[in-house]
Amino acid sequence: MLSGSKNTFKVRQMEPMLKERMLSQSGASARSRDILGLRCLPGECVLQRVPMVRKKLTSREGRGWLSGTLFCTHFRVAFVPQDTPEQLDNADPVLLGDHDVALAAIEKVVVVGPNRTKQVSASSSLKFTPEELLLFCRDMRVVCLLFDRLTPDAHVLQMTYTIAKTYQPLKPGSVLAFQNAALGSVEMKQFLSNRSRDPHMNWFETAQDWNQELERCGAVGWRVSAVNERFEMATSLSRFVVVPQRVLDTELKKTFAHFSEGRIPRWSWRHPRGADLLRMSSFQNNIYHEKDDIRNLELVLFGGHSSLCVVVELGEELPSTLDIHLSHSRLRALCLGDVSSSMTVPDDKWLSSLESTHWLHHTRACLRKASEVCCLLRSGHMTVALQEAEDRDMGCLVSSLVQVMCDPHSRTQRGFQSLLQKEWVTAGHRFYSRLNYHRDCDKDESPVFLLFLDCVWQLWAQFPSRFQLTEDFLLALHDSLHLPLFSTFLANSQRERLKSSQHVGQSYTRVEGWRDVPLELEDLCDPPLPPVWDWDLQYSKERQASFTQPIPSPTPPQPLLNGNLNTGTDTLRMADTIPGSVFLLSRGSFSCPPQLPPWRSSLSSSVYRKSHRRALSSEHVPGLERLLKAWALADFPHTLTSHSGPQGPLDPYEPLLPLLMGPCLGLWRQCYLRGAIHAQAFSHPLSSPQPHPVERLSRQVQQLRTQLSQVPVPKEPCSPETPMGLQRDLNQNANNSTFLFPAARSSKTPSPQQSSRPAAGPQQSSRPAAGPQQSSRPAAGPQQSSRPAAGPQQSSRPAAGPQQSSRPAAGPQQSSRPAAGPQQSSPQRSHKHTFLFRASSPGRRRSTAPEAQSQSCRPHTAS
Amino acid sequence: MASPMSVYNSNSLDSHISSVSRDSLKMEPLTDVSLLPGEDGVIEKEVIYICPFNGPVKGKVLITNYRLYFRSSDSDLSVTLDVPLGAIGRVEKMGGASSRGENSYGLDITCKDMRNLRFALKQEGHSRRDIFDFLFRLAFPLSHGLPLFAYVTQEKYEENGWNVYKAMDELRRQGLPNNKWRITFINKGYELCDTYPTVLAVPYKSKEEDLQRVAAFRSRSRIPVLSWIHRENQAVIVRCSQPLVGMSGKRNKDDERYLDMIREANETPKLTIYDARPSVNAVANKATGGGYEGDEYQNAELVFLDIQNIHVMRESLKKLKDIVYPNVEESHWLSSLESTHWLEHIKLVLSGAIQVADKVSSGSSVLVHCSDGWDRTAQLTSLAMLMLDSHYRTLRGFEVLIEKEWISFGHKFASRIGHGDKNHADQDRSPIFVQFIDCVWQMTKQFPTAFEFNERLLLTILDNLYSCRFGTFLYNCEHARDQHDVRVKTVSLWSMVNSKTDMYLNPFYTPEPNMVLCPVASMRHLELWVSYYIRWNPRIRQQQSPVEQRYRELLALRDEYLKKLEELQLSDTSPTPRVTNSTNTPSSNSSTPSSHCTHYQTHF
Repeated sequence: MLSGSKNTFKVRQMEPMLKERMLSQSGASARSRDILGLRCLPGECVLQRVPMVRKKLTSREGRGWLSGTLFCTHFRVAFVPQDTPEQLDNADPVLLGDHDVALAAIEKVVVVGPNRTKQVSASSSLKFTPEELLLFCRDMRVVCLLFDRLTPDAHVLQMTYTIAKTYQPLKPGSVLAFQNAALGSVEMKQFLSNRSRDPHMNWFETAQDWNQELERCGAVGWRVSAVNERFEMATSLSRFVVVPQRVLDTELKKTFAHFSEGRIPRWSWRHPRGADLLRMSSFQNNIYHEKDDIRNLELVLFGGHSSLCVVVELGEELPSTLDIHLSHSRLRALCLGDVSSSMTVPDDKWLSSLESTHWLHHTRACLRKASEVCCLLRSGHMTVALQEAEDRDMGCLVSSLVQVMCDPHSRTQRGFQSLLQKEWVTAGHRFYSRLNYHRDCDKDESPVFLLFLDCVWQLWAQFPSRFQLTEDFLLALHDSLHLPLFSTFLANSQRERLKSSQHVGQSYTRVEGWRDVPLELEDLCDPPLPPVWDWDLQYSKERQASFTQPIPSPTPPQPLLNGNLNTGTDTLRMADTIPGSVFLLSRGSFSCPPQLPPWRSSLSSSVYRKSHRRALSSEHVPGLERLLKAWALADFPHTLTSHSGPQGPLDPYEPLLPLLMGPCLGLWRQCYLRGAIHAQAFSHPLSSPQPHPVERLSRQVQQLRTQLSQVPVPKEPCSPETPMGLQRDLNQNANNSTFLFPAARSSKTPSPQQSSRPAAGPQQSSRPAAGPQQSSRPAAGPQQSSRPAAGPQQSSRPAAGPQQSSRPAAGPQQSSRPAAGPQQSSPQRSHKHTFLFRASSPGRRRSTAPEAQSQSCRPHTAS
Repeated sequence: MASPMSVYNSNSLDSHISSVSRDSLKMEPLTDVSLLPGEDGVIEKEVIYICPFNGPVKGKVLITNYRLYFRSSDSDLSVTLDVPLGAIGRVEKMGGASSRGENSYGLDITCKDMRNLRFALKQEGHSRRDIFDFLFRLAFPLSHGLPLFAYVTQEKYEENGWNVYKAMDELRRQGLPNNKWRITFINKGYELCDTYPTVLAVPYKSKEEDLQRVAAFRSRSRIPVLSWIHRENQAVIVRCSQPLVGMSGKRNKDDERYLDMIREANETPKLTIYDARPSVNAVANKATGGGYEGDEYQNAELVFLDIQNIHVMRESLKKLKDIVYPNVEESHWLSSLESTHWLEHIKLVLSGAIQVADKVSSGSSVLVHCSDGWDRTAQLTSLAMLMLDSHYRTLRGFEVLIEKEWISFGHKFASRIGHGDKNHADQDRSPIFVQFIDCVWQMTKQFPTAFEFNERLLLTILDNLYSCRFGTFLYNCEHARDQHDVRVKTVSLWSMVNSKTDMYLNPFYTPEPNMVLCPVASMRHLELWVSYYIRWNPRIRQQQSPVEQRYRELLALRDEYLKKLEELQLSDTSPTPRVTNSTNTPSSNSSTPSSHCTHYQTHF
C-alpha cells in the first residue's frame, strides 16, 4: 500500500536529520530556551545573544523604545522584551514572536556607527562598532535596534557579523535551507503533520467544497464537474470546475481546446440577484469549430440559463504584470529609501515621487474595473465573464475584488481566506513565479497579489465597518507572503502543490481515484510546508484576536432568484439553439464585435449570422450603459438616497463602490511606511499604549459574544433576530450553511471520509475550542459543532448537559481574558499537551522520536 | 489622504442637501427657510444656478441680510445652497445684456470658503440689477456704511461665550503670578501697545520703565510677554515681534537685559529664540527697520523656522482651490497637490511648533517671534501649547486657546479675512487662521483620542470665521473690539457651541493629562483635509466618519448582546448575582463616554 511506503520513506529520511540535530544542539543552546527567555523552536539553536538592546517601536506599537535581549538563530533574529511573561512550556510552537524577523525576510542589514552608516554583508568587516542595527525587510518593515553602550564591542560586532552571515539573500539554495531551519526538525515535521486544517473555511479542494459554495450562493443550474480531476484537461486549473448543469462531461471535454491553456469559462460566484460571474482565458482562434462544439461552447458561456453575456476584457485598462512589478519596485524604493545609503526622497518631492510610482494609479484601475463588474452583476440576469489572456493574474484579482465588494461573507476572515483559495490558490495564480522566492524566474516576478491586498485595503479604509476582517489581518497576510514557508504560495498551480505535498498524506482529503496518481518522488519537497492559513504557526492568539472585529449580524439575505430585470432580458430569452447576445465591455463602453465569440464568426455557423441578432444586440447597449452610468451617479448623494437612505436598512449586497478620486485613494501607510525611520524627529513614547476606544469596545463585544455562545440555549427558541436563532433557521433552510457563514463541516452527517481517518476526528473537534480565534466567529461556533446530533430544536437536556456543567466556570473567565472554555475541550487538549511537551523538550528527544513516528503512522495504517 | 470621507458639514452651510420631502419643493415662496432672529428677507428671484456638478438648475434664490439661499424648483434634482453673505468675497456681473449663449448673463460669486457660485438670469429688463445691488451692499456692509450682521442678530443662547476666557483666570490656572513672573496692567488703556491685551505676564524682575523701553525697540511695541509656563520645569513660551535692529544694526541694552531676565527665570542655560521666518526674509526686514537678534544677545541662540509670509500662504491656498474646485484634478492629483505647496507649509508650521514644544518640555525657555508677532507667532505658540498642555485639547480649553493666543493677542482677523469689505484683492488677506485649524486637524488625525472636540467643531469655527454672525472673530485687536462694544452688542461663537456641546464632542476622547503630543510632521504622514477643502464636491460622501460609524454600531451591538444575555439568564434558573457581576465587568474597564455608560447602566 502506498501509505506504507510513505512511512518507510519517512523513517529513512529521519535518521540523518536526527543526527544532525543532535550535533547542532550542543549543551548551551539546548538549555537556552529557559534561561535566556527565548522560546526556541524544536531544533533551533541560538547562535548569538546580546542583552540590553533597545528596539524602536512603530506608531502602531505605541512608539518609543523597548528594551530586551537580541538573539540570532539560524532561522530568525529574535528580540525578547524584558519581563516577557513566562510562557507555558507546552504551548504550541509559534514560528515568530511579536518582535522577531525571519532571516529570509531580511533584505539588507545596515549598521549605524558614530557618524557612519554601512551596509553589512557576509564578507564585510567593520572598522567601527555599530551603535544601531537596521534590518530592512522584504515586507517593508524596518527594524531598528539600538545597542547599549555598556555592551562590549566584541559582542556587538559578533552579533552583527552573525546576522550578516546567516541571513540569506534569496536564491535557490537558501530558501530550502531556510525552510529546513524553520520546519525541518523532526519535532516540527511531526507537529506539522498533525495539524488539522481550519474546518471553518472552504478550501475548494474537493467536489464537496465546490458544492458547498454553490449552495451558499444559491446558484442553480450549475454542477461540479470532475473532468479535470487528474489535471488532464487543464494543468493549471483546479481539479473541479463548476459548469452549467446541462453540459455533459463528454461534451465539456471538447470545449477545453477552444481556450488558451484549457481554461474554459468557469463559474466563480453568483450575485444574489441572479447574475453569475465567470472566468476564462482567451479564445483559441486557430481552431475549427464543429457544430456540436459550438452548441457546447455557447452553453458553457451562457451558463445555460441566461441569454445575455457580457465579456469583460481585463487586458487593456489594467496594468500588465510588468507594470505592477516596476511600480511596486519603485514604491519599495520610495518608501524604504535607498537601503544601502539610507538616502530618502526629500520630503517636498514625496507626493510627486509617489505619483510617479503609478502604484495608486494601478490600484485605481483595478478598483474601477471591479466596480464596473459589480454594477453589471447587481442588475440581474446575465453572465459576466472575465476574460484575460491567461486568466491567472488579473482574472484572479478582479473576480476576488468583485466578491469582496459584493459579498459580505468575503469580508469576514474565513470568507476571505476561502475566497483566496477559490480565486487564487486553486485557480492557479502563479504565486511561485510571481513572488520569485528562489530568484530563478525574474522575468515572471510581479506582485499581483500585493496589488490585490492594496485594493482590499482601500476598500477597508473607505468602509471599515463593513469588514469583519481588519487591517491587522491584511498586514499579517502581506507579511506572510514574504516568508517562503507556505505551501499556499510555493506553487504555481494546484497540481504542483498537490504533487509536492503528497507525502504529507492525511492533510489532503482523499477522493476516489486519487491514489492512482503516481507519486513522483523527486518532486517531493522537504520539509512539508503548511498552508498560510494556519495562523497559529505564526501569530500568538492575542495577535490573532486583532484579525477580526465584531460587526453587526448581517440581515438575512433575500436571494432574488428571478432577478431585477432592468435590462428586460426575460423578453429576449431564446431557445437553446438560438444564441443570446454577447457584448464586450472595454474602456467603459459596450460593443459586439463580430469575432466575439470567435465561433460565431466562422462560416460554418451561418445560422447565427441572421440579421436580427445584430439588431437585438444593439438594443441592449443603452440598457447596459445605463447600468454603468448608475454607478457613476451613485456617487452623488441624491441618487444614493434613493438606493438606501442613510438610516434605512442597508442592503448587504449593495456593492461597496469606492470613491476613486485622487484625494480619496490613500497610501497604505501602516504597511509601506512602517519602518518610517525618517518620519520621526522626536520619539516620544505615547504615555500609555492604550488601544483606541473602538478597539476596546470591539474586544468587549467579542467577549460578550463568546459569553453568549457559552450560555446554554434556553428551552424556548430565542427571538428570531438573535444571531443564534438566525443561524439555526438558516441552516435548516439552506443546507447547513448560511450565506454568510458556512456551517461547520463536522455538523454534517458523518461522512465516510471521517470514519476512514480516525486521527482527524478528535483534533477537528478540539479546534473550535481553541480560544479567541473561535470567539471571532460570529455566534455559536462551538455549539454548532458539538450539537450536531441533537438538532437545533431539541437542544434541551441531553445536549445541554455537558455544557451546563461547564457554565459555572464561565464567570471568572469572562472577567479575565476571553480564553474560551478550555474546560470544554480538556480531554483532547490535555492529550495534545502531553504530546507537545514531549516534542518540545530536548531532554527526551530520543524517546520522543519513535513514539512520534508511531503516532504519525496511525492514520496511515488505519486507512 | 486615506479615509478622507469623514465629513461633518456644519448644517447651515450644506450645499447639496437632498431634501426628503419633495412635495414641498413646488411651494411658491421660500417660506421654509429657517431664518435667524433678526434676519430679514430682502429679495427673492427666479434664477438658474449653474451647478458645476449637475449642470444648470432652475430655482429660486432668497437674499437676506445674513444669507444667500437657493433651492431648485426641479423635483428631480434637489439642490440647496445656503451661503452666509460673510463668506462671499467677490460679486461680479457675468456677461452683458447682449451676450449670446445660454445662461451667459448673470452673477459670478467668489466665496472665501473654497467655492464659486454662478447664477444665470433672464436677459430682458435688467433683471440682475436689483439683485446685484442688494447682494453687493449686504455682502460688504462695512464698505457701504451698514452694520455687520453680528450687530443685527437677535440670537439668544443659554451660555454666554464671552465668559469663556478671562485673562486672569487663565494665568492663574497656569500658576501665575509666582515668584518669577508677575502680572502687569501697564497696558490697561492700550497705551503701551494698542494690539496687545490689557493683562500681561512679564518677568518679576522687570520694572514698568523697562517695559516702556523694550517696547520702543520692538516692532509695534509688541514686547516679549509670557504665553505659557510649564508647571514642572517652569520653562516658558514668550511671544513678541521682531526687534527694530534696522540697517545700522542698532542695539538696545534694555531689550538684551529683558531677554536675559526671561532666561534667568528658570535658569535656562540658553534662551532659544525661534524666528518663524526664513532667514532671508529676516535679513530683508532690516531694510524696513526690523531684523533679528544678533550675537549681542548673550546666552541666546537664534533658530529660523522657514515659514513663509502671508502672501505666499494666500497664493498657495488659491492654487489649492484651483485643483479642487469645481473639479478635482484627476490625472496628476498628487503632483498637482505638491505644486500648491499647501501641505508643505502645513508641515513647516507643525514642525516649527514641535521644535518649540520639544524645547520647552526639555526645560528650556523659548521666545517666538516673526515680523509683527501676530501671524506665524500665533500659529507657533498656540500649536506648541496644544501639544504641551492637555487642557487646551478639551473643548473649553481650545476655546480659551483661540481667545488668548489669537484674539486677545491681536491676530488681525478683520484684515486677514476682510469682514464686510468689498476690496477682494486686499494684500492683507491671508488664510493664516485656516492654516492653524488645518494643523489642529492634522493633529487630531494623528492622535484620534487626544482631543475632546471633533472635526465638526473645527468646521464650525472656520464657517463662522467668515459668517459675521458672531462677534468672536471681528476686528483686529482688543482695543478695536472695546471701541465697538463687541462683547456687549454681539454674540460669541462659543455661546452657540457651548449651548449644544454634544455635537462637538469626540466620542473617542481619552483624557491623558501631562501627555505631550508629538505629531509627525512629514509629507509622508500629512493629509489633505478633504472634508474641508473638497466638501462642496458632492462626490465626497457626506457621511460621518467611518470610525465613528463603526463605534456606534459596536455600541448597538454591545447593547444587543447585553440584553440578550440578560434575557437568557433571566430565563435560566441559575444564580443571578454571579451573572450580573460578570456582565458588569466590561463596563467598569470601559472608558466610553459617560453618556454611553449611563445608557448602558439603565439596562439593568
